[in-house]
Amino acid sequence: MRMKPKPNKPAEHTLWLFLVAFTGWAVPGGGHFLIGQRRHAVVFFVTIVLTFLVGLYIGSIGIIDPVGAKPWYLAQILTSPIVGWLGQVAQKGDYPVYGRPQDYGQIYTALAGLLNLLCILNAVYRAYSGIGETIGQEEEHG
Amino acid sequence: MAEGFPLILAGFFAPVDIGNTPFSLLWMFPLLLSIAVVYKATRLRVLFWKAFSLEVLVLFLTLSGFMILTGVVLNLVVWLITS
Repeated sequence: MRMKPKPNKPAEHTLWLFLVAFTGWAVPGGGHFLIGQRRHAVVFFVTIVLTFLVGLYIGSIGIIDPVGAKPWYLAQILTSPIVGWLGQVAQKGDYPVYGRPQDYGQIYTALAGLLNLLCILNAVYRAYSGIGETIGQEEEHG
Repeated sequence: MAEGFPLILAGFFAPVDIGNTPFSLLWMFPLLLSIAVVYKATRLRVLFWKAFSLEVLVLFLTLSGFMILTGVVLNLVVWLITS
C-alpha cells in the first residue's frame, strides 16, 4: 500500500498535515484514508463509530451535554464535529438520562472521542514521516 | 427490516435498562475490544487481517485478564477491610 508523496514546500507540507488532522476529526479514519492507508481507515471508522453509537444507544442522546457535563463533552466532540450538532439537538429536547446507563454511555462516547484523537495523531505522524511505522517492529508476515 | 428502523432510532432517545448487578460489568468487554483494535491498528504499518486479528485477540485477552485480576484484588481488599 503506497502512501501519497509529501508536498515539497514547508508551507504546503504544514497545510497537508492540517488537512490530514481535520479530515481525521471530521470522519474517523479519514486522515488515514487521505494518506492512502485504506485498511487502517476502515478499521478506525468501523470501531470508533460503532463504539460511539453503542454509547448513544446505552445512555440516550441526552448524554451529550455541552452545559452540564462539559469534561465529558470535550472528549465526546473529538469523535466528530457532528457531535456538536447532536449536543444542540440534545439541549433542545428533553431526553431522559440517569444512573448506570448514563455512566456507561458517557464512558463509551468519551472513549470513542479519545480513540479518535489517537487516530488523528497517528495519521498526522504517518503523513509527516511518510513511513507509517510508529513504534515497534514492522509487521510483514501474514 | 424497514419496520424495525424506527424502533432502532427510538432506542437512541431513551436509556437502556442496566441494573445495578455484577453482570453490568460485562459492558466493559466491548470497550476493551475497541481499545485493542484501535491501539493495534495504530501500531502496525501494514494490516494483514489474519495477523491483525491475532494481535487484537492477544491484547484483548491481556486487557480482560488484567481487569478481572484488578476486580478480584479490589474485592479481596474490601473483604479484608470489612471482615
